[in-house]
Amino acid sequence: MARRPTPPRSVTSSQEVTDEQLDAHVRTRLALLGVDLSVLPADDEEAPADQRRIMASARRFLRSTPEAIADFELDPMGPAPAIYPAEVSARNRG
Amino acid sequence: MGEVNRRRFLERMTALTATAVAAPATLGAISNAGSRFPGATGAGSRAVAGRPDELNLPPAGRPQPADLTELTLAEAARLLRDGDVGAVELVEAYLARIGRWDLRYQAFNTVVSQAALEAARTADRTRGRAPLTGVPLAIKDNYFTAGVRTTANSFIFEDFVPDFDATSWARLRDAGAILLGKTQMGPLATTAASTPTGERTTVNAWAPHHDNVSPGGSSSGSATAVAARMAASSTGTQTGGSITNPSNAQGLTGIKPTMGRVSLQGILPLTYTRDHPGPLARDAVDAALMLQIMAGPDPADPRSLGLPPVPDYLGAVREDDGALTHPERGGAVRIGVLPGFLDEPEPPEDPGPDPDPDVDRIGSSFPRRERTQAAYRRDVATVEARRRMLATLEEMGAELVELDFPTHWETLTSFNFNNVRLPERSEIFLEHLRDDVRKFGVSLAPWINGLLLPAAEYVRGSRARLVLLREILDEVFGRCDLVTQTAPFPFDMVGLPLIGFPIGFETGSTGYPRPIGGMFGAEPYAEHHLLAVIAAYQRATDWHLRRPADPGELRPAEGDGGGPRGGADGSAGRDRSPGRYDLFDVMERGE
Repeated sequence: MARRPTPPRSVTSSQEVTDEQLDAHVRTRLALLGVDLSVLPADDEEAPADQRRIMASARRFLRSTPEAIADFELDPMGPAPAIYPAEVSARNRG
Repeated sequence: MGEVNRRRFLERMTALTATAVAAPATLGAISNAGSRFPGATGAGSRAVAGRPDELNLPPAGRPQPADLTELTLAEAARLLRDGDVGAVELVEAYLARIGRWDLRYQAFNTVVSQAALEAARTADRTRGRAPLTGVPLAIKDNYFTAGVRTTANSFIFEDFVPDFDATSWARLRDAGAILLGKTQMGPLATTAASTPTGERTTVNAWAPHHDNVSPGGSSSGSATAVAARMAASSTGTQTGGSITNPSNAQGLTGIKPTMGRVSLQGILPLTYTRDHPGPLARDAVDAALMLQIMAGPDPADPRSLGLPPVPDYLGAVREDDGALTHPERGGAVRIGVLPGFLDEPEPPEDPGPDPDPDVDRIGSSFPRRERTQAAYRRDVATVEARRRMLATLEEMGAELVELDFPTHWETLTSFNFNNVRLPERSEIFLEHLRDDVRKFGVSLAPWINGLLLPAAEYVRGSRARLVLLREILDEVFGRCDLVTQTAPFPFDMVGLPLIGFPIGFETGSTGYPRPIGGMFGAEPYAEHHLLAVIAAYQRATDWHLRRPADPGELRPAEGDGGGPRGGADGSAGRDRSPGRYDLFDVMERGE
């Protein structure tokens, strides 16, 4: 059912996307949702959160998680998504 | 077991889709109770407990201790039932400890002294037959408690007072339990307890003068309250280790049940698919008693419906049950040991001197070199404790089975696949994210990241969880009944049960005894197997009987950091200087 992860086929890997491109992506996505980071201080280590740290975290996330998940190839006839896996297994015993 | 029949699997998808759609209605109970959280009513939250008065409490095992707060939950329940102890007497004993020590521990957000005493007087007067009649409990502050503030330690809910009880708390209440108070937690059930702005609050009961020793999280206050004998037992929630980690950190026995075994109705959600309510207790018998009452179907939570019947947990922990024989299959209980569980840690490389000691001490009690060595000593002690634990179980008749990791374990339990949960939490709190991101304080980043995972990857990650589950069922539970775990995330991801329990102590990292915890996982809805084996293990060991000294009996070491120590007896503590958790205990923080 599951195939082993394979190298990405994309011409540009997430590692090659620049910080500026990622920042534009994040800010556009958040703007479309109506989420405003500008209420945070720009750069203040003493603040609970600031724009610099939030954007750095977002860039790390985008450079790792989506691609890692996309690289895990699954057979279309493999498992349908189930958001409660343990319940599925218990309900399908026998 | 574990083979998922494809045809029936596809049939079930329809029902599960209905479940997924129904879940927001469950959350919706929040806002009619006065919160700004959007939603509907809490009408479905009434307790649906079975007949708790029929529970058979375990027989007495030791003489009654002089200090009533030393009683286990089962002992207290039995003494109250037999009239040997009064509920007022017991509640007063706990309130006295809270009054004396909680400024230092900061385990509670709210203590309802007068209401608890009034409930105790009623219990003494009516002598009810319910099994927990008059027993005081601490409830995590994300469980709805009617008329009592429920904040999840967040700016978002700081003034929220629900008008109904969470189902699992309502079951405990209907079983006669008395609410002592609400426990401090990581903000919105993330990380160890701190203020929403990240300043540390709750301390580990075993190291009350060491702010950098994590109490485990996010059910930090629940663990500290029980370990410090300020409650008989407590409740927690686990999305990423938040019951088992604090239990391990503070010498307790905590069980994270299978998804759906305990209703989530009336508990502020962090994610819909990975939140699990469960107890933190002094031993496996107490955990079984708590879970017996908390578990069961709830019409208000579709996740709890249509599951296998709730087993007899109290029967499973009884001494005469031959616990290390598998109750259904017969023969020895098989304990699977995954690779790395007993590997000796590598001595650490010298991290070099602190670049700027003044800066480093803002977030850390120890200089970097000392911290590295302390962590190494703890790792060495942990492996030794694991060896002893497995040897004990083998002597008791268990069969140890050496296993390989399931085929895609490394990939599917990685940080990246663990992140599949993040869009769920972002969706739950989307209105608050749009309103003002500052409400999320120090834990904002994962909420923002959750908004950035595309739906295609979320669906693929959800499908991948089925792959992981099937491999666990086939490749692990095809060969064993229980399996060792070193981190909670894999079983949290797929909703399987976990138990955390004490397996030893070490003193290297603080100079004081500090618990070492073990963790086992099991098949879906096999909590009774976990409880049976750990109850048997605890009859052969005494780690679970050890209690931390009171803060006044522990002299803080010179230069151990963490701010002012308060009075000479160690009782004062609100004036501890603020600081933030560093990476020293990152794996014990949980969510």
